[in-house]
Amino acid sequence: MKQAIESVLVGPVVEDEIHLTLVELCRVCNVPEDQVRHWVGEGVLEPIGRAPHEWRFAGESLRRTRVATRLARDFELNPPGVALALDLLDEIEALRAHLRRLASGGQR
Amino acid sequence: MKFKDYYEALGVERSATQDEIKQAYRKLARKYHPDVSKLPDAEARFKDINEANEVLRDPEKRAAYDEMGSQYRAGQDFQPPPGWDAGFEFRGRGDEAGAGPDFDASEFFEALFGRHARQAAGRARASRQASGEDHHAKVLIDLEDAYRGARRSIALRVPAVDPQGHVGLEERHLDVNIPKGIRAGQHLRLAGQGGSGLGGAPAGDLFLEIEFNPHPRFRVDGRDVYLDLPLAPWEAALGATVDVPTPEGGVQLTVPPGSAAGRKLRLRGKGIPSQPPGDLYAVLAIALPPADTPAAREAYGAMAKAFEGFHPRT
Repeated sequence: MKQAIESVLVGPVVEDEIHLTLVELCRVCNVPEDQVRHWVGEGVLEPIGRAPHEWRFAGESLRRTRVATRLARDFELNPPGVALALDLLDEIEALRAHLRRLASGGQR
Repeated sequence: MKFKDYYEALGVERSATQDEIKQAYRKLARKYHPDVSKLPDAEARFKDINEANEVLRDPEKRAAYDEMGSQYRAGQDFQPPPGWDAGFEFRGRGDEAGAGPDFDASEFFEALFGRHARQAAGRARASRQASGEDHHAKVLIDLEDAYRGARRSIALRVPAVDPQGHVGLEERHLDVNIPKGIRAGQHLRLAGQGGSGLGGAPAGDLFLEIEFNPHPRFRVDGRDVYLDLPLAPWEAALGATVDVPTPEGGVQLTVPPGSAAGRKLRLRGKGIPSQPPGDLYAVLAIALPPADTPAAREAYGAMAKAFEGFHPRT
C-alpha cells in the first residue's frame, strides 16, 4: 500500500458558510437532478428560490440529501416514502435528544 | 484472506430463491441500516449484509460465487483460484443502479469482483474528460476538539489506478484542521481532495462529516452540552457554590437554595463555541451520603425528627 502525506488541510464548514445550487448539491451527493426535484416537491428539502435554477440549499441539506439518497437506494423508496421516513427519523431524533437531556440523576 | 459466507450473512439457505434473498436483505437492512438503526454495530453489520446482497441479488455474480464457494466455509483461509471468473461477465458496478459510491467492499469482495468491475468501468470512461468524483468520509473527534479547534490526522483508503491501469487501494493520510465551534453532523469541505479527474479535468472535493466520540461525562445536543452534577442534600437545600467541569476547564457555579433533583442550571455560552455559542446545562442530582456509621445514622434520625411534617409521597 502506498502512502501519501500532505500538509495540514483547511476547509470551510459547509453548514456555516455555503449555500448550494441544485447542480452542486447533485454533484456532491452523486444523485440525479430529477431525484432532487421530486424530493423538493415532497418537501424533503426546502430550498430558497422559486425556479430550480434559482434554488439555494442551506448547508444542512447536504446531510439530509445524503440520507435520502441512501434510503431511496437501499429500500427502493419513492419520494413520498423518503419524505415519510425522514420525518419519522427527525421525530425519533428529537425524542432521543429529549431523553438524553432527561437521562440524569434518575440512574443514580 | 478469509472466505465470507454470503448466505450466512443474510441468514438464508444456499437454495434460497431470488425473492427470498431480497426479503431477507430488506428485513436485515431495516434493522441495521446506519441511517435508521442506533445499534452500536449497525454500520459493520450493514456493510456485511449489503455486500452479501450485492453478490447474491445479481444472478451472474451469485452463480460465480456458488461455483467457487461450494468447498469453503466462513472464516476459512481463501485465495481465489487464478482465472476463476473466466466465462463470467460482470457489468461494471460504477454506473449501474444498486451499490452506490458509498459501497465499501471488503478485501474478499474486491478479490472476487471489485478489480474486474472497476477495470471495466475505468476502460469505458478513460477516453472522455470528466471531473473527479466528490468523496465522503467521517471523522471522529473529541468534544474538546470542538471547543479549542484541533489538528487531526485521518487515514483514508481510496482506490487508485496505477500506470498499468490496475486498481488498488491506497492509504492516504491527511492532516486536517478542525475549526473551533464545529458540531456533530456538520461537514468540512476540502477542495480538490476527492477523486482525481480524468483527462486533465479537476479533482473532486472531499467532504468530511464530523462525529463526536462518546464522552464519559458530557452529552451533546446540537450546540448545547449537558452534564450531571451531583450535590449533597444540604448543598441542594441550602445553596452552595460548587466547581463544575466544562470541556474547557472548571468553572464555579452557584446553586440556589431549594434546588430539586432534575433542575437544570444554565451556563450561558459555555456550550460549543459556534456562532452563536451553545449553552452548558448542569442537570442536578442529589447524592445521599451512606448511613454506615453510628454518627451518620444519628444524623438521619435527627433529620427525620426535624422534618416530622414532610411526606415525600403526598
